[in-house]
Amino acid sequence: MLSLPEMGLYFSFLLFLIGLFTVMFRKNILVMMLGVEILLNAANLAFVSASRITGTMDGQVVMFMVMAVAACEAAIGLAMIISLYRAKASVEADDLKLLRG
Amino acid sequence: MGFQEIVFFVMGILAVALGGCLATRRNPVSAAMLLISLMVVLAGMYGMLDAHFAAVAQIIVYAGAIMVVFIFVMMLLNLPPEELRFGTLTVGEIILTIAGIGVAVALGTKVGQGYLVSALQLSEARAPLLPETENLRNVAATMFTDYLWSFELISFLILAAVIGAVVISKRRHGHAESA
Amino acid sequence: MLNPMLFDLIAMVLKVAVALLIALQVAPIMVWVERRQAAMIQRRVGPNRVGLFGFRMFGLGQPLADTIKLIFKEDFVPKQANKVFYVMAPMITGLAGLVAIVGLPLGSYVEVFGTRVNLQPVELNAGFLYLFAVSALGVYGAALAGWSSNNKYALLGGLRASAQMVSYEIAMGMSLLPIVIIFGTLNMQDIIAAQSGHLLFGFLPAWGVFYAPVSMCIFVVCMFAETNRLPFDLAEGEAELVAGFLTEYGSMRWSLFFLGEYAMMTTLSGLAVCLFFGGYEIPWLPQTRILELLTGAGLGRELALWVMFPLGLGVLLGKIAVFMFLFVQARFTLPRFRYDQLMDLGWKIMFPFALANLVVSAVWAAIAKFGLP
Repeated sequence: MLSLPEMGLYFSFLLFLIGLFTVMFRKNILVMMLGVEILLNAANLAFVSASRITGTMDGQVVMFMVMAVAACEAAIGLAMIISLYRAKASVEADDLKLLRG
Repeated sequence: MGFQEIVFFVMGILAVALGGCLATRRNPVSAAMLLISLMVVLAGMYGMLDAHFAAVAQIIVYAGAIMVVFIFVMMLLNLPPEELRFGTLTVGEIILTIAGIGVAVALGTKVGQGYLVSALQLSEARAPLLPETENLRNVAATMFTDYLWSFELISFLILAAVIGAVVISKRRHGHAESA
Repeated sequence: MLNPMLFDLIAMVLKVAVALLIALQVAPIMVWVERRQAAMIQRRVGPNRVGLFGFRMFGLGQPLADTIKLIFKEDFVPKQANKVFYVMAPMITGLAGLVAIVGLPLGSYVEVFGTRVNLQPVELNAGFLYLFAVSALGVYGAALAGWSSNNKYALLGGLRASAQMVSYEIAMGMSLLPIVIIFGTLNMQDIIAAQSGHLLFGFLPAWGVFYAPVSMCIFVVCMFAETNRLPFDLAEGEAELVAGFLTEYGSMRWSLFFLGEYAMMTTLSGLAVCLFFGGYEIPWLPQTRILELLTGAGLGRELALWVMFPLGLGVLLGKIAVFMFLFVQARFTLPRFRYDQLMDLGWKIMFPFALANLVVSAVWAAIAKFGLP
């Protein structure tokens, strides 16, 4: 049977897929941001598993950096969503068509 | 299979199941609560990988602060549950997704792990690590010697994010709304 | 003779059972204490008639009578409410307090069949950060309760309560960092042992409060704010928002919220006692000395340790009881903060003070350890 960190890497891959599908297939911007958080958590799990495989602490240190970056990104993204909601009263990605993108 | 492997496997399946439910909820608040449980399960998995400080930091920072902000915004905006319309994908997107999955599989299997271990054969001398029960001291030793620059820059990044969030979400008086 | 893993498992289950029993029994006792103490402060008598089997018993049967009444009340779910979250919210509040209390050390150690059993139910390498992390999850109880009740007043009350709890958590965490710097470890048993070995200035017990008094003041204030107790209880303030996020909750769900609140009070008081006031150690009589006295009196080491366990537990509960007395006293003495005053206090006063305290403590500890440059 696989050891713990190897199982961690496989689960991280599955979680990454789930986060990817959440971002691709959902239209509500808030749920897309939740998908991005799942992606970042999957990456964190991969880092911690790798740190356990190699026996160094670098993976865990990088995990903290990723966590801090995720916090900043969540804060700014939510501020932008609030600003967007004030401008357009909707948070569906389909309604953001001004740039025809 | 040892007891630890079984428990870790069950937690991993639980995490993936929570993620799968999360991707299909109509109500954003339900999705957020499922994400909080996902983060707590992940914290348990970090604890089993002997990264105790990472586990506790995950709960304090992610599940206890970031997700609270998400929940606030969802409750304040008071959104109705959305209908799940799956958008149409272009051919290019599908090809890129399959290629991406292929790269991830390549990195995740034995080939990738071999590359990973060999890439981390660092030539500089590292501080010798204490035994595994001193996880916090080990992480602190690595963070404040090899990664000190990153640590300080991250603090600047957080400061910029705080200022940015406050500025972006202020109400602007007297600006014309764009057509 | 037993498999070591099975032995650890049984020991942990028993310790967790003791810790949970303590947390669950606090709520009924506190109901009675709060009402009698409020009566004493307000110069009246309070409930003193409800007893058992015809004896008045100073009204100690009052919590039992309250519980029986609440069980028989109608249990309802409002019509448009989100049923899943409505049911889940009191459970989150209750669980946050109960899961956190298993991180407190109940005594030093006992020896069973020659193996040393540490009397802390859950001991992680991250020490008291576990307690802090789990009690941070109690925010969701208030937020979900407010939102799922489908009631504007409840939503506003719930959002205010969770914003208050998150704001004061920051100052609370930062005020505990000087303790980590001073004692050099996150392990609670080590911190308690470091507080009882020697005397400060020859006569004071070497408690954390004498090393970091500003930390203790900030922590106590944040403790009041975390548990939504007066003077910070705007979210449940009866005169302001009907009953805040508790508006749509009745009977046993409401009492489950209060069970969670009292459990959280016990947990945070326990944390303050262990970090600042010496935990389960008697002030001038460390447990090593008691062990020597008992074995000197011919008691045998294992039996002496088993005698010291209820002694330490009693001391811990006594110190927590002093904190609970303080909680009730503050409730009926101080007026309530307005919400903007509350947030100003949290962000503009507590947070800078905690930060300045951390910097001063770090510089002082560095000078004490490495000498002046």
